[in-house]
Amino acid sequence: MPASPEQLTCHHCGEAFPATDLVTETLDDQALQFCCHGCRGAYLIIRGAGLEHFYQRQDRQIGTLKEAFTLRVDDQYLDRFVNRHDNQAEIHLILDGIRCASCVWLIERLLLKRPGIVAARVNFATHRILVRFAPETTSAGQICRTLADIGYLARPYTPGELQQSADREQRDLLLRFGTAVFLTMQLMGFSLALYAGYFQGIDPHTRTLLEYLAALVTTPVVLYSGYPFLRGAWISLRHRQPNMDLLIAIGTLCAYLYSLVAMGMGDEVYFETAAMIVTLILAGRLLEAGARRKAAADIDRLLKLAPLRATRWAGDSWQEVDSQELSPGDLIRLTAGDRLPVDGIIHQGITDIDEAAVTGEPLPVTKKEGSTVVSGTLNLSGAIEVRVTAAARDSFLARMTAIVEQAQTDKAPIQRLADRVATIFIPAVLVIAALTYCYWALHGGPALINAVTVLVVACPCALGLATPTAIMIASGRAARSGILFRGGDVLETASRITHLAFDKTGTLTTGRPRVTAVYPYKGEMNRFLQLLANVEAASNHPLAHGVMAEATRRGIRPEPVATATTHPGRGITAAHNGHLYRAGSQRFLQEAGIFPAPLQSHGRSEIHLAQDSSYLGCVALDDPLRPDAAAMFADLHRLGYTCLLLTGDRQDVARRISAELGLDDYRAELTPEQKAEVIAALPQGSVMMIGDGINDAPALSRAAIGCAIAGGTDIAVESANLILTRPQLATIPLALRLAQRTLTNIRQNLFWAFSYNLIAIPLAVSGLLAPVYAAAAMAISSICVLLNALRLKHQRLTP
Amino acid sequence: MMTSTILLIFLSFCIGAGVWLFFLYAVKKGEFDDVEGPKYRMLEEDEDKQDKDSGPNGS
Repeated sequence: MPASPEQLTCHHCGEAFPATDLVTETLDDQALQFCCHGCRGAYLIIRGAGLEHFYQRQDRQIGTLKEAFTLRVDDQYLDRFVNRHDNQAEIHLILDGIRCASCVWLIERLLLKRPGIVAARVNFATHRILVRFAPETTSAGQICRTLADIGYLARPYTPGELQQSADREQRDLLLRFGTAVFLTMQLMGFSLALYAGYFQGIDPHTRTLLEYLAALVTTPVVLYSGYPFLRGAWISLRHRQPNMDLLIAIGTLCAYLYSLVAMGMGDEVYFETAAMIVTLILAGRLLEAGARRKAAADIDRLLKLAPLRATRWAGDSWQEVDSQELSPGDLIRLTAGDRLPVDGIIHQGITDIDEAAVTGEPLPVTKKEGSTVVSGTLNLSGAIEVRVTAAARDSFLARMTAIVEQAQTDKAPIQRLADRVATIFIPAVLVIAALTYCYWALHGGPALINAVTVLVVACPCALGLATPTAIMIASGRAARSGILFRGGDVLETASRITHLAFDKTGTLTTGRPRVTAVYPYKGEMNRFLQLLANVEAASNHPLAHGVMAEATRRGIRPEPVATATTHPGRGITAAHNGHLYRAGSQRFLQEAGIFPAPLQSHGRSEIHLAQDSSYLGCVALDDPLRPDAAAMFADLHRLGYTCLLLTGDRQDVARRISAELGLDDYRAELTPEQKAEVIAALPQGSVMMIGDGINDAPALSRAAIGCAIAGGTDIAVESANLILTRPQLATIPLALRLAQRTLTNIRQNLFWAFSYNLIAIPLAVSGLLAPVYAAAAMAISSICVLLNALRLKHQRLTP
Repeated sequence: MMTSTILLIFLSFCIGAGVWLFFLYAVKKGEFDDVEGPKYRMLEEDEDKQDKDSGPNGS
C-alpha cells in the first residue's frame, strides 16, 4: 500500500505512523521502516527464525466481518475479480453459511431464476461458487446482494479468504456443539430423575423444580445451538423452497414448545428430545465439515504453492507487489528458495529448479536464460530474473487448480438423481407428518409426538451426503496418486470403460527419441543435418527435439527460418533462403509428389527432408519405451480391458511395439482425424484414449474419456478429462479401479439412505419410534454413509 | 433432603460450567481450528528449513 509523504507504513505491523516515530534497519541493502523498536525487534526475530514468508501469508485486512462485507459489495471492487469472455462474465465467490447439500441446491436454483445469470455452480467441498452471467443484465454486486438476501455472505475469492471463512465457520459450529453437549449432559441428569420419579413416585415440588431446571438448560440449546437450523428454516420459508433445515427446525420447535405447554399443565415433558435432535445433528454437521475440510485441503495445497507476493522491476528499482498484479512482460526477481508465482522465461541467471510439486520429477532441473519455468516450482540454487509470460490467474498452477475445482464441482448424473429425489421428498414428508398428526389426534394417541418423530426421522441428510462425499474422497485420493478427474461424471464414465486406446509417442514411450542413424541422400552429412535442424527448430514435436539434440551434439546451430507451418501428425513446412523445405513422414513427402528412397530402418521412426521438389535424405530415430509400460499392460489385461495402439507412426513400428507390450490390436499411419474416427467406431461411451500431443487432441475429446499425461502439450491437457500429473503409466489401472470402487460405494450409500427412510418413516407414523431414537438413528445413518465413503481412502486398488 | 439435592445439582452444574468455560477458551484460542494440520505442519516446517539451508546465507 502506498504511504503518503508524512505517513509511513511499518514493515512489521502494516500500520501507518508519523515520520517522527521512524525506526530504520538496513538489511540486504534494503532500508526497512518500523513504527517502533518493538516492531523492529519482532521483525528481526521472525526473520531470524527464517519465517519471513509470514509477511506474505498474512492477509492484512483490518476491520470486522460486517464492515468488510458492506465495503465489498461495490461493483468496482468486485469487477477486479470478474473474468470476461465474449459477452459472458464469470466470478468466483466464497459463501459463508452453506451447511448441507440442500443449501447448494437452493442457492443454485435461486440464482438461476434471476435474470442474466447463465450458470451457477456451488462447490460443496470448498463453499466456493462459480457464477456465469451476462454483464449487461446483472452485475457481480447484484449477485452478492441476491445471495445476502437469502442469508449467505458472498465475498470474491482469494486463497486467504477461504481459509478465514472456513476457520470461522468451524469455530462457530464447534462452539454451538460444545455448548449443546454441556447443557444436554446436565439435562440428562434432570430427565433421568424425572423418569425415575415417573415410575417410583416423586414429590410434586421436586418434580416442578426439576422440570423448571430442564426447561432452563434446554432453552439455550434450542435457541443458540439450534440457531443455524432456525435461521435456515426461516430463509427457506421466506423463499418457499423447503430444505433440510426446515424439517429439523419444525421437529425441534414442536418438541420444545409442546414441553413448555405440558409443563404448565402438569403433563409429561420431552425437553430431552428437542435437545438431543439439535446435539446429534450438530455432531453430524461437524463430521461432515471435517470431511469437507480434508478435501478442500488438497485444493488449498495446490494453491499455496504460488507465493502471494513477488519482486518486480519498476523501471528503476525492485518493488514488492501482489503476485496477482503481475502481467505478461513484467520482469521479476527470485532468490534461492523462492517459489515461482507465475509462468515465465528466465531472462538472466542460471539455477536449479525443483519441479517435483508440478511434474513429480524428483531431480532438480538446471535452467538457464531462455528456459521456461512454471508457477509453483521452486528455485533452488541461484538468483534469477524471470520475464513473466502469463498472469497468475492464467498460470499453469491456476489452470491445474481450476481443473481440480471443476472436478469437485461437477455433479455426476447419479448425484443429480439424488437432488431430484430430495425436492419431492421434503414436501412429501411434511404431508405425511400432517396426516400422522390428524390420524393420531382422531384416535386419541400422542399425535404431536408421533408427528414430530416423522419429521425428525425423515431428515434425509444421508441422501444428500451419499454422492458428494464419495466423489470428494475418491478425487482427493486420486489427486494424491497423481490422477485428476475433471468432473464427478468422469469418475462415473471411467467405471464403464472397456477399451483403452493408446497413443505411442510420449505416452508408451518416453517421448524423448534419439537419432540412431543419419542417411543423407545428396550432399554431406553435417550440411544435411543443418538444413533439417533449421526446419525442425520451429517444431515442438518430440521427434524434432530428438533431431535438435543430435544437432547440438554435433555442434550445429540452427538458423532461424522465415516462416514455418506445422501439419499435426505429418510434418512441417518451412521457407528459408528462398527454398521451401518439407520435413516429416514418408507419406507427407509423397503427398507433395516427392518419393523418398526406400529405407530399412527396422521399425524405427524416420524424418525425411525435401528441398522444394528434390529429396535430401532422412534420419532414423528410436524412442525408448517407458519402463513401466509392460507392467501396466499386464495389469490392464488382468482387469479385462481391451487395449489398442493408435499411432501416426509407420506400420512396422506399431507392429513391433504392439507385439513387445502384448496389445490386442494396433492401427498405424493415422492422421489426428483418423484417430478420432477409430475411436468413434468403437462402442460408444466405453473408450478411453490416452495421449499427450496436439495430434491426439481430436481423439481425446472424441473418446468417452480422454486421458492426458503431464508434460504433454497444453492442448492435449485441455482436451482431456482425466489427467495424470505424474508421468507414470501405472496410475492408469489405478484410476480405472478407483472409479469402479467409487461407483459401487455411491450405490451402497444411496441404497442405505433410501432403505433407511423406507423403514423408519412407517415406524414413526405408527408411533413405534420415540423422537429421541429417531434423532439418534438419523445421525447414525449419516455417519454410516460417511464411514462407508471414507473406506474409499484406504481400499486396496491393486488388481 | 431437598437442600442437599439442590446443593448437589448446583455443584454438578458448576463443575460442568467449569469444563464448558475451558472448552470455550480452547476454541477461542484456536486449539480445534486444525486437528489434521499439525501432523503435516511438523513436516512442512522441516521442508521450509531445508529450502532456506540450500540457499546462500543472507543473500
